[in-house]
Amino acid sequence: MTTRELVLGGRLGPTRPPSELGRRLRRLPRADRAALLALAVLLLVSFLGPFVVGTNPEEPVGAPFTRPFGEFWLGTDELGHDIFSRILYGARQSWIGAFIVVASGVVIGTTVGLIAGATRGWVDTVLMRVTDAFLALPGPVLALAIAAALGRSYENTLIAVAIVWWPLYARVVRSEARAFSSRPYIEAAKLAGVPAWRRLIRHLLPGTLPVIVVAASLDVGGLILTVAGLSFLGLGAPQPAPELGAMTAQGLPYILSSNWVALFPGMAIFLIALLCNLAGDAVRDLLEE
Amino acid sequence: MLAFAAKRLAMMLPVLLFLTAVIFLLNSLSPIDPARAVLGPSASRGAVERLREQLGVNDPLPVQYVDYLQDLFLHADLGYSARLQQPVTAGLGEALPNTLELTAVALLLTIVLSVLLALASAGRWRGAPLLRALMVGGASAPAFLLGIAGILIFFSELGWLPATGRTSFETAPTGPTGFILIDSALAGRPAVFTDGLKHMIMPAVCIAMIPSVAVGRTLRSSLITAMSSDYVRTARSKGLTEREILFKHGLRNAIGPALAMLGLQSGLMLAGVVVVETVFSWPGIGLYASQAIPVADFPAIAGVALVIGVAYVVINGVVDVLQAVADPRIRL
Repeated sequence: MTTRELVLGGRLGPTRPPSELGRRLRRLPRADRAALLALAVLLLVSFLGPFVVGTNPEEPVGAPFTRPFGEFWLGTDELGHDIFSRILYGARQSWIGAFIVVASGVVIGTTVGLIAGATRGWVDTVLMRVTDAFLALPGPVLALAIAAALGRSYENTLIAVAIVWWPLYARVVRSEARAFSSRPYIEAAKLAGVPAWRRLIRHLLPGTLPVIVVAASLDVGGLILTVAGLSFLGLGAPQPAPELGAMTAQGLPYILSSNWVALFPGMAIFLIALLCNLAGDAVRDLLEE
Repeated sequence: MLAFAAKRLAMMLPVLLFLTAVIFLLNSLSPIDPARAVLGPSASRGAVERLREQLGVNDPLPVQYVDYLQDLFLHADLGYSARLQQPVTAGLGEALPNTLELTAVALLLTIVLSVLLALASAGRWRGAPLLRALMVGGASAPAFLLGIAGILIFFSELGWLPATGRTSFETAPTGPTGFILIDSALAGRPAVFTDGLKHMIMPAVCIAMIPSVAVGRTLRSSLITAMSSDYVRTARSKGLTEREILFKHGLRNAIGPALAMLGLQSGLMLAGVVVVETVFSWPGIGLYASQAIPVADFPAIAGVALVIGVAYVVINGVVDVLQAVADPRIRL
């Protein structure tokens, strides 16, 4: 194999044999493995649950304010909706929302961070000034203002959160890319005449991936809480769409007479965020030396 | 030191300008017609058009932005709230002292709680693992769930604390500062003071929970690093007591990252204020914003976002200066 092939194939890059991950997984502390497993179960339940339960979350199915643990597991709300079914749909909605925001944040943040980290001079300066300006403002409040200005809908809330979320990744990726760009294999690729965009994608990106994955997985819990908070304030899909934050707000007026209406959706958000945070720690332990 | 402080504070200016630009852009993006908001839905189209011309809504965006900055800085004009039929500044002026008082108490609570959490969980006593589990749980609990659980336990079940509002006294003093704790103390009315404090406990704890966990975790890890360092070993071999070592050598060196975290967390805290004030019907700027959301009263929301944004930028500027005071290496 010639040097050129080696360099172009990216084999001098920081790639890891596939068996490594399995070995690390086995070495993980038991609590970390339990957290990952619990998260997997929760994901399965929230994606398959809606098909199994079968009741329409937006149609009244029983008397209003039916107590929980009877005909309906978690009772019904003030309009007679089945709360359990609404929580399952709402949980799925939360996952999809979190995935969209994290994915768009990672794509934008990584693009900005890679370009800034690989180039020097004014491009780097401009990109990082914009990033810093966003980071210097309180993200959740800015997201609230953006979502309110765009109009109340779930999509707009996700767009608003995505707008304030990407700078975190841009910062992390830039410093990582900066560290990698002075490594010998990047210099070698440069000398071998590899075009800049290809160096960015084939050689720089793989090296920054672990950091991105760790940052994103530590973030998901906080992200779900942020979106739920905005939805609680009424920045989400209009009633009666099943959204955990909005469901909690909707139950607030009845908190003293029928506390389950607000309590169960709120506890569902807590459970999701808790498992995300625990699993995020596990992913960090898994990927960081 | 002064030069560093001046430089750091000057760096806030472009950020604040960026903030006003964002808020301005959102304002012009929002579908609400400011002239229609002032005149009401029954005004004639001609009158609305005249007022639009007068307000400069038809001008190009850069001209409007300069107008906006002029209104903001020269006349403290933040627009007009259609919901309350009054200028946004008037509504904010009424609500801001209530929020300031609540966040001040929450901030104190955050500092106390985070130091307690850090000291307790860094130690090797038997309750430490439980405390650490509690910290992970606290970081994952949405503020509104804490509020609801608090109301159910401490108001509904135990009857120890009131659930909503900021005082049960119709005749509570409203001046001179607007802070109920200070005003009632000045007026010599201990009953109003304790009542105000009781109203404040639950919302303040809800606001402080997530930040104290984050700050406590940061402080814990830097404290552990500091306490296993060479200078602490030297201090031990000099025969200093553990307490002296902890407070004179450990905490001072560990406080920097925790301070930075406190500054960053203040943003989350201020966002939490909006949610928590809604749960407890606390008449502050958070409730003001959340009541504006269902009726799409955007100038009111933009005003609150601007106030919170400025507070966040200033807090972080001050935190950076404080960090430099605690750790001279930062000034280099």
